[in-house]
Amino acid sequence: MLSSYLMVAAILFCIGLYGALVKKNAVIVLLSIELMLNAVNLNLVAFSKYGVVPSLTGQIFTLFTIAVAAAEVAVGIAILIALFRARGTVNVDEYDEMRR
Amino acid sequence: MMSDLPILSLITFSPLLGIIVLALLPKGSSRALRATAIVATIIPLLLSFWLYADYDGAVDGKPYEEQFTWVDTQFDRLTGTSEGTLSFKLQYEMGVDGLSLPLLLLTTIVALMAALASIHIKKRWKSFYIWFLLLEIGMLGVFLARDIILFFVFFEMTLIPMFFLIGIWGYMGREKAANKFLIYNGIGSAIMLIAFVLLISTAGFNIDTQTFSGSYETIKANLLDMQAAVNVAEAWTGNYSNLFMSETMHWTIFILLLVAFGIKLPLFPFHTWMLRVHTEAPPAIVMIHSGILLKMGAYGLLRFGVFLFPEQAHEWAVVLAVLGVINILYGAVLALVQKEFKLVLAYSSISHMGIVLLGIASFNEIGLQGAMIQLVSHGLISALLFLIVGSLYERTGTTELGELGGLAKSLPFMSGVLLTAGMASLGLPGLSGFIGEFLSLLGLFESMRILTAIAVLGVILTAVYVLRSVLGITFGPMQEKYGTLRDARLIEAVPMITLVAFIVLIGIYPAVLTEPMKHGFDTLLQQLSGKVGG
Amino acid sequence: MDTMFSEMAWLIPLFPLAAFLLLLASGRSGRRVGVAIGSVGSLASLVLSILVLIEHMGDGATYYQDGFKWIDLGSFQLNFGYEVTNLSALMLVVVTAVSFLVNVYSAGYMRDDERISVFYSYIALFTFSMLGLVLADNMLSLYFFWELVGVCSFLLVGFWYTKPAARAAAKKAFIVTRIGDAGLLIAILLLFWYMPDHALDFVRIENVFEGQTGAVAAGVTTLIAILIFVGAIGKSGQFPLHVWLPDAMEGPTPISALIHAATMVAAGVYLVARTFDIFQASPVAMETVAYIGAFTAIFAATIGIAQNDIKRILAYSTVSQLGYMMMALGLGSLTGGVFHLFTHAFFKALLFLGAGSIIHAVHTQNINEMGGLGSKMRITAWTFGIGALALSGIPPFAGFWSKDAILATALHENPTLFVVGVVAAFFTAFYMSRLFFLVFTGKPKGDGKAHESPLSMTIPLIILAVFAIGAGFIETPWNGTLSEWLTGTAAAAHSGGGLVMVISTAVGALGIYLGWLVFVKGTIARDAISSRAPWLARLLERKYYIDEIYEAILVKPLRGLGQLLNAIDQYLIDGIVSFIGGTAVFLGRGGTRLQNGQVQTYGLITILGLVILIIAVVGRRFWS
Repeated sequence: MLSSYLMVAAILFCIGLYGALVKKNAVIVLLSIELMLNAVNLNLVAFSKYGVVPSLTGQIFTLFTIAVAAAEVAVGIAILIALFRARGTVNVDEYDEMRR
Repeated sequence: MMSDLPILSLITFSPLLGIIVLALLPKGSSRALRATAIVATIIPLLLSFWLYADYDGAVDGKPYEEQFTWVDTQFDRLTGTSEGTLSFKLQYEMGVDGLSLPLLLLTTIVALMAALASIHIKKRWKSFYIWFLLLEIGMLGVFLARDIILFFVFFEMTLIPMFFLIGIWGYMGREKAANKFLIYNGIGSAIMLIAFVLLISTAGFNIDTQTFSGSYETIKANLLDMQAAVNVAEAWTGNYSNLFMSETMHWTIFILLLVAFGIKLPLFPFHTWMLRVHTEAPPAIVMIHSGILLKMGAYGLLRFGVFLFPEQAHEWAVVLAVLGVINILYGAVLALVQKEFKLVLAYSSISHMGIVLLGIASFNEIGLQGAMIQLVSHGLISALLFLIVGSLYERTGTTELGELGGLAKSLPFMSGVLLTAGMASLGLPGLSGFIGEFLSLLGLFESMRILTAIAVLGVILTAVYVLRSVLGITFGPMQEKYGTLRDARLIEAVPMITLVAFIVLIGIYPAVLTEPMKHGFDTLLQQLSGKVGG
Repeated sequence: MDTMFSEMAWLIPLFPLAAFLLLLASGRSGRRVGVAIGSVGSLASLVLSILVLIEHMGDGATYYQDGFKWIDLGSFQLNFGYEVTNLSALMLVVVTAVSFLVNVYSAGYMRDDERISVFYSYIALFTFSMLGLVLADNMLSLYFFWELVGVCSFLLVGFWYTKPAARAAAKKAFIVTRIGDAGLLIAILLLFWYMPDHALDFVRIENVFEGQTGAVAAGVTTLIAILIFVGAIGKSGQFPLHVWLPDAMEGPTPISALIHAATMVAAGVYLVARTFDIFQASPVAMETVAYIGAFTAIFAATIGIAQNDIKRILAYSTVSQLGYMMMALGLGSLTGGVFHLFTHAFFKALLFLGAGSIIHAVHTQNINEMGGLGSKMRITAWTFGIGALALSGIPPFAGFWSKDAILATALHENPTLFVVGVVAAFFTAFYMSRLFFLVFTGKPKGDGKAHESPLSMTIPLIILAVFAIGAGFIETPWNGTLSEWLTGTAAAAHSGGGLVMVISTAVGALGIYLGWLVFVKGTIARDAISSRAPWLARLLERKYYIDEIYEAILVKPLRGLGQLLNAIDQYLIDGIVSFIGGTAVFLGRGGTRLQNGQVQTYGLITILGLVILIIAVVGRRFWS
């Protein structure tokens, strides 16, 4: 039972990873990151139910993560908007300030 | 009487007092800053002379040992048959013996002279003097530390101030010179650190106290009686592998140390960094650099390379001597063709440090003493030479040999001192250079005749390049533009006369140095004769 | 006989030292005071030296030695000390006497020089060092002062430092003698390690080598002797290290008299005499000394003929005469060498001071620009004439007796060298007569304002002239006072003494006669040789091109080597280091290329790394 959950989470994570690394639109990158985060949440829940030592802590922790992720997305989107205003683009290739 | 006082620590850290006062003084008051710095260098000078007066060489420095534990880390035995824990201690351990006392005196003297010579510094006096005094602490500590970790700490403490002193107050190419200095010496220090770590882990175990530490005495005792150390260490720590105590290990550490201190010395292929430092650093700092910092290389080589690994060093005596001869001739020939006076002096330093190597390679009382005297003597002479270089540059604005000439007319006093320094440098009897050179050669001659004879050629070449440059500056037709120069001021003349006085003193009565060192090499030579059989 | 004065002998060098220190401290302030201090210092030494000599004249050994430990190294020690032997007592008087006279003379000669007190301080330092050298009781102390006299000579040659020629000459003098000193230094090293008990003092050296005890192997003995001789060659201007001495004439003339004629250059001879036992233990070394001495004698004499500078002629004559002394020593005649040293010191100092007096008057050193000075400078002319006759070996002047002693030995020991010596004597007489006639006779040249020098200059000339006449009588073929006194044995009868005397006198007279014919009478044209064999005249004039040869085979290659190494040092060694540093920088550049600011690239690399890591970790399980 556990392995199917983990499989789903893994697939989800890989899709997220792919999106985060390849997509050029910053919003999609942000979305992809959320996907990866959710893959992790899925794992946490699965382990808390079917793991070797089942415990409710995992599920509670997931709630925390979701809350933090929401805050994170809010901040992320805000930064993106600010960036868009400043640079006029959402293409991540052009966000290379770190290099300069 | 004196053993109640922690005199060694007092000497080492007395410049700290100056730093504190300097920190409180306002930035712009150059006069007050300078006075403070000078006073701060006088204190260790006086203390070290007191130490010299009180020192009794025969007891091998035992009354002057200070020690306390700094950091103490407990850890479990790796695998073990017996119970209990071991500890690793970082110790603060100071001591003085015949090897370090002359160099300690040299340091305090040259530091004061350099502080006096710093009147030519034109900017940012406050930070200059703070770095300067930090540098002095480092140097004093190097010669007094009796724990190899502590030694390393002090050794590194000289690098950073030097870096800034060169990089900020130097001439045109100062940044490059400072970088080169730091990189070379950094590599040297890294190699030294590897050697030290190896030393501590192989021989730093004290059976009685069940601790690992960098204590010099412990390491020395363990290295000299290897078998006992192996047995005990194995019994206590379990998995002591044979590699640690093997011959190969000894050789590895010895060669690492040779390279590490060879860079500082500098040995022939590792010398290019010091050329830059000689030309780019402010003369007052070159006095310190050439006068003392190079000596730390030789001191380290003696104390760690030769004293800890007498057999290896003795086996490599020929190698050391050949390196020395190469240094002498290479430096001399190159000094011959330089067009810049400071470069002549830089190459002459290389040449003179070669003589030190010869003295070490001799492995007899005469040669080793000669090497020590050569160290002190060269320190004084090169300090004097750079003191003059600083004053000359201040007046003429150049140190190019092609542009200088006929200065004896307008600067008779400085020219006279320059000539004296040159004579001391080429080994004129009656001045200190001769004693070091003669004793080193005399010592080496016992075992390596041909090499010594070749080295004597270097002595001739020394005369050639010294006269070429010194006469080029002082003699010859007077040049119009130098007609109105003023001779040395009192504050310049005092250090010049003092240094000349010391040079003459050692030259005429070398016993001032040989007496405290008299028994410094006894144990080393006994070990050698015991192990090598002659 | 007691040793009261000998015990005080250590004071002799200290008077000039005190004078030196006083002069050094007083700076350039007092001109008259400087003269007074210098003169009084050397006078005090002179008086004490004479007392010591008188003490030694008496019967019985009055040898005295004292010293102290200088460097104590536990198992080894080096001493410093002095000893008074008959030889050193004699040398003491020669040195102090000439030094005192030169001090007096310089008061006049250097009167107008603003650095006269510096000049006096140098002379005082030189006198101190030379006396120390004479009194030294071991090789190391000797070497100590040996170098000090070298440096004083250097300082005084370069006294007029603004002249580039003086600078070059001073440099050359120091470096060339330094080459010889290196030989001496190695000899000392050898002695130290081969002598029993590492003794360096002359007494024990004498004991070891005189008895042929075999304590030191024959090969080593030869090596030591030759190396000591190398030192002597450098100092005494023997071939092939003679090049510095003629150039040293750039210094003030009183200095040429004191250092480069009478005392310091004789130090080489003195050194060989001091270590004579080592030489005698090695026949090879003795032959070397004899042949080099003889060669130098004739070699320098021929050069002397072709020179035009009055001081250079005298300088080559000094080189030549020192060659005689060396030849005498090499032939085993200690007395001959020392005797000639003794007489030569007086008449050569006389000649130089006379030359100084002439130069002072006419302000040129070229003898072709002088002439007819005899009538204007009577004292100078007479005393110079006495010196020239003494040098030419005309009886009864001092030079005759000493040269005769050498030639007699040569005839006895080695007829070839005897012939060489006789020929050299002929040349000597010829160039001296040339010099004398060109300067003092003939028509006056120049502005004709020449005048006699002041009293302070002429009185030393007269005193020296007296010695140049009388000093030879202490040792004649009929009277072996000196040799008996020096060697402690009765003098061996000179065989064929009469023949030698006749020959040497005849040769001397012939040389002078020839000079008279050429330069006064004009019977033989002056360019008789130079017109027929211009190459020969040129060869002599250019001093056999020795300087040029050195330049070509030593100086240039050395400089070239220096340039080459300099290039290697800058480009190769520093280059390798820079290359290593550069590689690090290059790698860093490559690294920054990856640092493109694209977070996605970073992420990709991170993931790839992670994957590799996982594969590695998991893979290990399967393969191990």
